[in-house]
Amino acid sequence: MANRCTLIAGGTAPRAVLLLLILVSALSAEEIRFNRDIRPILSENCFFCHGQDPKHREAKLRLDVRAEALLEHDSGFAIVPTHPEKSEIIKRLLTHNPDDQMPPPASNRKVTPAQIELIKRWISQGAPYEKHWAFIPPEKAPSPALTDRTWARQPFDRFVLAKLDAEKLKPSAEAKPGVWLRRASLDLTGLPPTPADIALFERDALRHGEAAYASAAERLLASPRFGERLAQDWLDVARYADTHGFNNDSGRTMWRWRDYVIESFNANLPFDRFVTEQLAGDLLPKPTLDQRIATAFNRNHVINSEGGIIEEEYRVEYVADRVRTASTALLGLTTECARCHDHKFDPITQKDYYRFFAFFNNVLEYGEDGRIANAVPLLVTPTREQQAKLKEMDAAIAALDARLDRLVADTHGQAALRQQIAADDTKLQARLMKPLLPDPKKPDPKLIPGARVTAKDSDIDAKRGTTLSLWFKAGAGNTSDVPLLVALDRSGSPAATSYGNGRELRLCDGELEWTTSQKHPAYATIVRTVGAKITPGEWHQVAVLIQGKENAASISLFLDGEELPTHIRHDGLSGAPGKRDWFLGNDGKSPPFIGDIGEFRTYASILKPEQVREAFSLQASGKSPNHSAELAAYRRRTASTQKLQVERDTRWAERLAFARNLPTTMVMEELPVPRQAFVLNRGQYDAHGDKVAAGVPEDLIAPWPADAPKNRLGLARWFLQPRHPLTARVVVNRFWAQLFGIGLVKSVEDFGTQGEWPSHPEVLDTLARDFVDGGWNVKGFFKSIILSSTYRQTSDASPELYARDPENRLLARGPRVRLPAEIIRDQALSIAGLLTRKIGGPSVRPYQPAGIYEGIVVGADYPSTKWIEDKGEDLYRRSLYTFWKRTVPHPAMLTFDSPDREFCSARRSRTNTPLQTLVLWNETGYLEASRKLGERMLKEGGADDASRTAYAFQLATGRAPTVNETRVLVRSLAKLRADFTARPDDAAKVIKVGASVPDSTLSAVELAAAAGVANMILTLDETITKN
Amino acid sequence: MSCHQFENMHSRREFLQKTGLGLGAGAMAHLLGGCASSSVADDPHINGLAGLPHFAPKAKRVICLFQSGGPSHLDLYDPKPELERQFDKDLPDSIRRGQRITGMVASQTRLACQPSRYKFTRHGQSGTELSELLPHIGGIADDICLVRSMHTEAINHDPAITFFQTGSQLPGRPSMGAWTDYGLGRMNDNLPSFVVLISVNKEKSGQGLLARLWGSGFLPSAHQGVQFRGAGEPVLYLRDPDGLTRDQRKAMLEGVNELNRINLAQAGDPEISARISQAEMAYRMQASVPELMDLKGESKTVMDSYGPDVNTPGSFARNALLARRLAEKGVRFIQLYHRDWDHHGSLQDLLPKMSRDVDQPAAALVKDLKQRGMLDDTLVIWGGEFGRTPYAQGGANREKYGRDHHGKAYSIWMAGGGIKPGTSFGSTDDFGFNTQDNPVHVHDLQATILHCLGINHERLTYRFQGRQFRLTDVHGRVVRDILA
Repeated sequence: MANRCTLIAGGTAPRAVLLLLILVSALSAEEIRFNRDIRPILSENCFFCHGQDPKHREAKLRLDVRAEALLEHDSGFAIVPTHPEKSEIIKRLLTHNPDDQMPPPASNRKVTPAQIELIKRWISQGAPYEKHWAFIPPEKAPSPALTDRTWARQPFDRFVLAKLDAEKLKPSAEAKPGVWLRRASLDLTGLPPTPADIALFERDALRHGEAAYASAAERLLASPRFGERLAQDWLDVARYADTHGFNNDSGRTMWRWRDYVIESFNANLPFDRFVTEQLAGDLLPKPTLDQRIATAFNRNHVINSEGGIIEEEYRVEYVADRVRTASTALLGLTTECARCHDHKFDPITQKDYYRFFAFFNNVLEYGEDGRIANAVPLLVTPTREQQAKLKEMDAAIAALDARLDRLVADTHGQAALRQQIAADDTKLQARLMKPLLPDPKKPDPKLIPGARVTAKDSDIDAKRGTTLSLWFKAGAGNTSDVPLLVALDRSGSPAATSYGNGRELRLCDGELEWTTSQKHPAYATIVRTVGAKITPGEWHQVAVLIQGKENAASISLFLDGEELPTHIRHDGLSGAPGKRDWFLGNDGKSPPFIGDIGEFRTYASILKPEQVREAFSLQASGKSPNHSAELAAYRRRTASTQKLQVERDTRWAERLAFARNLPTTMVMEELPVPRQAFVLNRGQYDAHGDKVAAGVPEDLIAPWPADAPKNRLGLARWFLQPRHPLTARVVVNRFWAQLFGIGLVKSVEDFGTQGEWPSHPEVLDTLARDFVDGGWNVKGFFKSIILSSTYRQTSDASPELYARDPENRLLARGPRVRLPAEIIRDQALSIAGLLTRKIGGPSVRPYQPAGIYEGIVVGADYPSTKWIEDKGEDLYRRSLYTFWKRTVPHPAMLTFDSPDREFCSARRSRTNTPLQTLVLWNETGYLEASRKLGERMLKEGGADDASRTAYAFQLATGRAPTVNETRVLVRSLAKLRADFTARPDDAAKVIKVGASVPDSTLSAVELAAAAGVANMILTLDETITKN
Repeated sequence: MSCHQFENMHSRREFLQKTGLGLGAGAMAHLLGGCASSSVADDPHINGLAGLPHFAPKAKRVICLFQSGGPSHLDLYDPKPELERQFDKDLPDSIRRGQRITGMVASQTRLACQPSRYKFTRHGQSGTELSELLPHIGGIADDICLVRSMHTEAINHDPAITFFQTGSQLPGRPSMGAWTDYGLGRMNDNLPSFVVLISVNKEKSGQGLLARLWGSGFLPSAHQGVQFRGAGEPVLYLRDPDGLTRDQRKAMLEGVNELNRINLAQAGDPEISARISQAEMAYRMQASVPELMDLKGESKTVMDSYGPDVNTPGSFARNALLARRLAEKGVRFIQLYHRDWDHHGSLQDLLPKMSRDVDQPAAALVKDLKQRGMLDDTLVIWGGEFGRTPYAQGGANREKYGRDHHGKAYSIWMAGGGIKPGTSFGSTDDFGFNTQDNPVHVHDLQATILHCLGINHERLTYRFQGRQFRLTDVHGRVVRDILA
């Protein structure tokens, strides 16, 4: 390309210009505007070599900045305002000399004659530049003059009509009330209205007109289905899934975050708060559990657990994924290019990228994690019901404790007690299971910090369970994290597959922490007590009960005879660690424990809580005369309190067991000291360039709010400041696309210079302005749109209009869009009367063909490598609850264009394929729904074929069939009935589908025929389309 | 209308789309591919893109026999006597050159050279040296081009497989088959144009595969591969429920189409006529796919040539035979997967088993195609995502050993479809660690595959998120030396 590096004069080609005139004349009515007309041409064809990336800039020529574009170069001026004939750029565009031609023939880019003519006219007008439209804050445009002053219902309707006026088009007639109601119901709830709803609304609309529409809208927005419908699209953007992705693709639990999303939309949480909580809920003052769950938004990314991957490489990927998601979701910008080099088209530099990256870089996470369960950091996240249950349990226990304390206070004096304790001690040794350690025949080894106990003496056995116990007395000067009992190998490289294999007990921030680890910390169980009361200088007893697979739920920690609740820090153990010697108070790396340790015992069984308490109180005797805990504990097992104590123990055990099985969620947690971020050369994880601090492209997009902290919370404030040019536009545009099937900006994920110019800039800006100024009111936004004249048009249109505007960019008709995968299924379940109405909770596994995973999923038996079909109501939950396995998503959903959710997706494709037909014909769920709908036809649809088929037709499409349609339906029913009458065995076979049992009061032949027609109705284009 | 939109309306895609719509329902019925909705995917993927192929193709179709897990080039294709001499000696730093290794051997104190325990012999006129584990492939040595200088960028399965199949280590890009379908469109009326066949493992082991490997990425989802399955229904949801006859399905289809046509007259949306023709194709597929999977018409000689496994549905042998049948029916891109080549240990037990699974069927496929005169325009590719290390994982051992992942050098072979037969291309150093002569990067391979199909890899692009994307990113060069 060296021969093109200097500008030299080239000849013009008059023929081309002549040819153009005809084409161009059609355009001359409008003013040329740089952003709309010129920038896209330059961006597509020129900026790659003459844009803002200095490394790829040819001939030192830069065309994206006016001042630079007007500079003189070796061969002249690229652009001479008002003089296209002197402008080198025009000569280069017109020449046929391949050495001079621009864009170079090899670039595979081409500027059309019409475009060249536009550029000439623009230069004639002085070559004015504009900042890219999307980087200028939205303002409301003045209301346009219109031909029809009565059509518009909402302010934005006026701009739609003005555009139609300019195009010499008329809006389409208003859709019938029933059509509008079905459209709005599907859009706001994802479910169709019932024929009764429609009939009622039609009467209402006749009587009350606009008021009927407004109250129907209110009703739909108040439905708890609204949150489910809105969540669906946000789940795509947020790449929600139930597995970690990559080739192990094992399960994770993130559905509490999905609950949060549904609840937030239902509560009409202002969208700025919705975003703030998801970006930075953990950084809010005194965050609530919900606000911390919200941060799972930034942990929904894929996580790799393939053995041997390089940790840092993937950790960097996760951070980059957060950048990609936040940029796509809120900025509508693809910043990804700037990861490796300065962005060719949008003025985002590589440094900008890594400054943005720095916000998301401060999580204590690992590249390799999530093989067995959630990756760190994670949070125990009970549901609302579980929270209520916990409260209830705590209150009951507190009441018991109060009664016990009164009784204990009344019992006899200390001296007598101590005698009793001493007497019981000898009995206890016999009664408890034989300790493995110490050997009763040998004296206790002297247990001092640093001592070592051989592994075979303390064998941990998964089957029979093991109890460890020891006493410790912490001295002064311990650090906040010290080892008590260690058999964890910390030698070698932390990158090695076996690093950190073993078990240990530590004292961390005044709590006890137990670890069983195969590879630290990714494949480990780490649990920490909550509320331990440890006093330096006093003896305490710890007991660790270990059973089963050593996952978090099977570890119990006791302090001074009482089991403590635990906080699960990690629950990803993928196999038992090897056997190792125990070291007391020393792990060979961190500062050792300062103080005394004694009476390390291992029991070859799981001690019962009362045994632990007994051991404690007996062993405690005499350890610290002033310590009253052991006395209290002992008293508690004396006769007068025993019954109450047993009840208390039972309740406490239930409470702990309940707490151990609560769902966890991966959340964001900020490192105390932010990790240093660097520019990564070529995007390589290990090619550190300059150090960078967190920041945003202020000059380009919006200033940093003066008093905002430089963290995710500050970033949220930056995104959501009222004059941010992008956030609100991007969000309302996505909402718009949900309703109309296409955004005002078609490239909903790209508002950059390469993105599309909005079809109706004034509509977009009015909506964005109103959305922000009205307090980011989501329900208000949807209400205003569905009540608008634009939305209320019929989608029936002439073939000419469809031909002229196939994508409905002009909005001369209402939306007609094939429904998303989830809603096609939900609608079928709903009209068949099968849909389970329960909201929220864990994902479910409805029907899926057997063997889908075969040959695909990883051979190891990791969680979620099997699809075990649910039973009962979980077969019929709404589709947004269907278990989402990233590497093998549900095939019926995939067939209807659902994404795989490997990463953020703001726009689904909408295809029309034979495989979709096959799903509707033969998928078990649709067949079962067909039969159920058939049952409804026979039982509720009246006496004759015409009314029965009409009934089902109306359930599915929201309207009565025409005479011609009824003729086809009745004929089909008769044909199927005749067939099945001749082959009754086949009828019996056909209706045997799914888990539900066919209604035995109905004739199998009649039901099979009705089910056939019902299946036809579920397959209709109109049924699976919102019109 | 704005000037920008004016330009859009006259883009090639829009023009095609509008032409398609202008034909009306009758003509639409003959356009049998999946039809993207006009509103989002403005994409003429029925007949491929205008202007493609860019030049006369040598290959009409591709059969890719993907070997997932990383087959050991050192024990199958690339003999290294030097390793014998270096047995249990440390891999010289001059060879390793500080290259990164996986976490699995990061803690190993030394990287000890591990020779192959398998004998290599020369085969055919070409004298290509192959391991004793591949006797049948030895028999087609004069039909294949063995590339010993492949290299890739990733060292772990997921990124490496994704890279091989989509040109990017990260998810989100279209697979080779999807690009091909997008660019070239369909050659048949009754079958999808991109078909995936996955071996069912005898043992439940192996690295996971991912639907994204045959996904469409950002291309419209109609371009994703359709999996044909060995067991159960060959295509998901293909079979009508028990008790429903073909005649009834036809009557129901006709009824639905009639209702859809009535609706079309009212609503005017051409999408409805597309749906009608898609339903008709679904109905035809219900007949054509089982026909294709039914091997009754195959002669005993042919069946036998693929080996005894051919009688087991879901085996690699069966899938190889099906691949030939699909090729005959005009399926454009046939992607097989056979996994479990990940031999970190016990290679001596596992590798012979894996080789037995594929050796005879792969060779039989090439011969079968040749016999039918189809090899000339069918490109067959055998290979995995990377090779394996010349040093042992664990300790070096004459008999029992394992090898870790290795991306710096490995081997694949190709046959037919414009590739020079009876040759080997490229070489590695004495240790099989680095490529030496004529390195072939995965992007080069992809460029070459597209070239055989008549596609200039730099010109098959798709605009997404403001950027033109292609299979080979901004890399790749056609390996002209291996073209016939």
